[in-house]
Amino acid sequence: MAAQKFNTTSLARGLVSILLFLVLWEIGSRSKHWLGADIFGPLREALGAMGFKKTYIPWIGAVPAPTEVLRAWVDVIGDAGYWHSWYMSSFRVAAGFVAAMLIGIPFGLMLAVNRTAFGIGFPVFEVLRPIPPLAWVPASIIFWPTQEMSIAFVTFLGAFYTIVINVVGGARSIDGRYFQAAQSMGSSRWDIFRRIILPGTLPSIVVGSAVGMGITWEVVVAAEMISGGGSQIGGTSGGGLGFFIWNSYVGGSYEQIVVGMISIGIAGFISSELLRSLGKYVTPWLRLR
Amino acid sequence: MAAGMQAARPAASRGAIRIEDVVKVYDPDGAAVMAVDHCSLDIEPGEICMIVGPSGCGKTTLLNAIAGFHSITSGSITLDGEVLCSERKPKAEPGSDRIVVFQNGALFPWKTNLENVAFGPTMLGKLSKSEVTEKALGMMADAGLSGVEHNFPGEVSSGVRRRVEIVRALMNDPKVLLLDEPYRALDSLTKSVMHEALLEIYYKNKVTIFFITHDLEEAIFLGHKVAIMTTRPCKPKKVLTVDIPHPRDYSVLTSKRFRELMEETSDAVHEEALKAFRAGEKEG
Amino acid sequence: MEATAKRVIPDDMLHIFKRTMPFQVVSDPMLRKIAARSWRASYDAGALLYDVGDKADDIFIIVSGKVEHALEPGVKARRPVLSLGPGDVFGWAALLEKYPARLAKAVCIEPVEIIRINGEELLRVLESEPDTGDVVMSRFATMITRDYTVPDLIAQLRGIHRQMHSGDIQGMNLTLYRFSLWARSPRPYLMLIGFALFLGFWYLAVEVWKLPRFREMPGITTVVKEWFSKDPTYGLSIYTGEYYQHIAMSVWRVTQAFFLATVLGVPFGLFLGWSRTFKEFLFPAFEMLRPIPILAWVPLAIVMFVATESAVIYLTFLASFFATALNTMLGVESIDESYTRAASCLGASKWQVFRHVIVPGALPFVFTGLQISVGVSWFSLVAAEMVSGQYGLGYVINTSYTMVRYPTIVIGMITLGAVGYVTSAMVRMAGDYMMQWRVRELALGSQ
Repeated sequence: MAAQKFNTTSLARGLVSILLFLVLWEIGSRSKHWLGADIFGPLREALGAMGFKKTYIPWIGAVPAPTEVLRAWVDVIGDAGYWHSWYMSSFRVAAGFVAAMLIGIPFGLMLAVNRTAFGIGFPVFEVLRPIPPLAWVPASIIFWPTQEMSIAFVTFLGAFYTIVINVVGGARSIDGRYFQAAQSMGSSRWDIFRRIILPGTLPSIVVGSAVGMGITWEVVVAAEMISGGGSQIGGTSGGGLGFFIWNSYVGGSYEQIVVGMISIGIAGFISSELLRSLGKYVTPWLRLR
Repeated sequence: MAAGMQAARPAASRGAIRIEDVVKVYDPDGAAVMAVDHCSLDIEPGEICMIVGPSGCGKTTLLNAIAGFHSITSGSITLDGEVLCSERKPKAEPGSDRIVVFQNGALFPWKTNLENVAFGPTMLGKLSKSEVTEKALGMMADAGLSGVEHNFPGEVSSGVRRRVEIVRALMNDPKVLLLDEPYRALDSLTKSVMHEALLEIYYKNKVTIFFITHDLEEAIFLGHKVAIMTTRPCKPKKVLTVDIPHPRDYSVLTSKRFRELMEETSDAVHEEALKAFRAGEKEG
Repeated sequence: MEATAKRVIPDDMLHIFKRTMPFQVVSDPMLRKIAARSWRASYDAGALLYDVGDKADDIFIIVSGKVEHALEPGVKARRPVLSLGPGDVFGWAALLEKYPARLAKAVCIEPVEIIRINGEELLRVLESEPDTGDVVMSRFATMITRDYTVPDLIAQLRGIHRQMHSGDIQGMNLTLYRFSLWARSPRPYLMLIGFALFLGFWYLAVEVWKLPRFREMPGITTVVKEWFSKDPTYGLSIYTGEYYQHIAMSVWRVTQAFFLATVLGVPFGLFLGWSRTFKEFLFPAFEMLRPIPILAWVPLAIVMFVATESAVIYLTFLASFFATALNTMLGVESIDESYTRAASCLGASKWQVFRHVIVPGALPFVFTGLQISVGVSWFSLVAAEMVSGQYGLGYVINTSYTMVRYPTIVIGMITLGAVGYVTSAMVRMAGDYMMQWRVRELALGSQ
């Protein structure tokens, strides 16, 4: 399928869909019913008849309406604590991500380039990879002296796996003929590494970092919620948007929960776009003609 | 050549294509690009018409217009008197009377060769399943393809794949076979085998063949008519009737008449190729 | 070429035959018969063993040294030039019907020692025991297809009982052969070294050297003892029923979520990719919700789904759904438009195109998406369980920490990893099964 053209009709339809979504949300919340207004009543009956437990159907009525959320948001924009949460989360994401790149890229390249290293390192890596990063949280808390460092470690892990896999995959998929061409022109091993392997792996690194960024946000938010009081783990507050959300829940202001969620969504989107632009800058040859 | 001697071709009653004054203007991002410029061409029923031109000149656009994948801006294309597309109806509907064999091959990789060949009739539903299978096996055997029926396309060589695709197209008994540089990616040894195989199939099935290529030798070897197109926007620069009689085999390549025809036309082709090169055309 | 030939001393050389693909599973008495008709020869570096068009009489097995084997272009091999070493078999043109002439040029790159077997005589030996003969020929077929990449030629292999055709490439044969090669390579040993280093470091750091931060961690011996003890101190080991309860709970949740996400996500993704209108209407809202991290939904989920069980499953479902739908959509969009065009040319209706082209064409991507989706499900599940669950492996890890049962944390982690890997592998195997065509295509075309 050819790439879609970005024209006015598609833009209009997109806006319509978002508007429709907001409207349905508003109706659903205001009605305070299961699955929203009674127009959904028959749907609920049908689902119930099919054997779905009532609890499986979300109680949209309990969700705050968009208008209420907007109001809460306007309130919170003036609050310095809100922006501080932005800063804390972004900082953690950036720190963890940079650490993952700094350690992951060389590690991945080493595995890709040296067959012995690959034979020794990769199986261990693959065995540890299915363990979700969040499962490391308790171990991390025991190990690292401060809470900040334990969150950082878990964040690092999340992005690390993705980046390494992408680097290894990227290096291995470099067309063998580039190597042959270089060797026939008399390049040394270091030259080949610098001029073929490194640039050749760059596209995969870019892709890996985009995915890794998404995972990093997930982990940061999770870690903030967990250590900020989401469970019995953790001591004093750690700040950040995850904590903001949890706090809002505990404090009973549901509108703020949604504010927090959307804020994180926006933050994640901004960071992905930043990465994508950086990626394009670093790999100009991939620009399509 | 004596007046009475004509390039013999199997008598066919259908598949006459008339391209009349066709213009195609693309409008990518507001900059109008003319791909086809008042192109007119007549193709007789059952004729092999070769379209030769440099890459990117718009020949594929013409083929796509006949097939129904692209629209035209003005002019008309008719098949056996019926209008395929015109200014009022810019885009033809794809149909099984005009079947395309694609440049990079479009055999479905997830179906076996036999399932691929049987695809057309199976979709149209006019024959029963056993009738379809019987016909498919028969046509494959005719084309020398016994033995690979139950393989997947990914398991056989590209030459075999090409032949399977042509058989698949012929299963629907089309009026026209549209070939878009089908042998471009094959080496010259396999190509010559493919040419003979195509002619063999052609002699058994009376279809009009509309064949796009950039290889002049291939064009003169296979075709009744060779149309040399200008570089973009394309229109016929020179139309040549190849009066070497059918059936042909590869000894034709070294015949005197073949050499003469090559001499007549290679200048024209070369001229257009140079123009295209200077214009920096991307690979079609 | 200077060849010094001497008759093969049967028992001496049998192990060489056993290293080769075609002869690996032949019985010793049979091998002796074959060996009795072969002889050894040595060649210098640079010696031309044969050229294209020469008479094809013998089959060659390399004992030592390297030979470069270049198939002529007319044969259309995907990889025409091969560098062959000890254990490799070439010169199999001697076994083809139509080609009593060589298809390749074979030159010694290093000084080589070779075993030569006359083709006709080999065939006679194989005919004396047709069952083994069939096996050997089918293994030749596999070798010719897989290593020499000329599948078209195996139809010409002289049959013993029957003609060979491409259906004879036996997957099991190939798998076992490749496994035997792998076992002989350094790879398994490197893997062991890797694990030894890792586990060794863990053991030493925690229990022997008692390094500063590592002191507090549970040591590997404690964990192992706890895990395998009949009466575990902290209540969880492979012998306790509770352990399996937790595993079952987590697996059950992931199954539900994954199932729902697939059933809803795949059709959604297919339509997103297929219909531009559909995509223009629904994709923007989808893309707006997707960047919100799954765990940010936790409080809202708790509010929306009164029962915590449903909340946990919802969260797991969400992550899975986004991954599946997105990958399915990308899969549909990456289908070459030639396929859909060809189908409509051939007379397929829009719905038929969807069924016969879009769905099978997108399937590889769908399964990649499903594998990612399984991984993502586990990720969300663990987080959700840690925050608000009862039972389950995430819950175990969480409570083990608060109750200061450190070894159990590690048991939980390892179990999680193992179960996650198994579920992912199951999805992959399901995909391989449903897409036989791709497995075979990849096998024949891999680098």
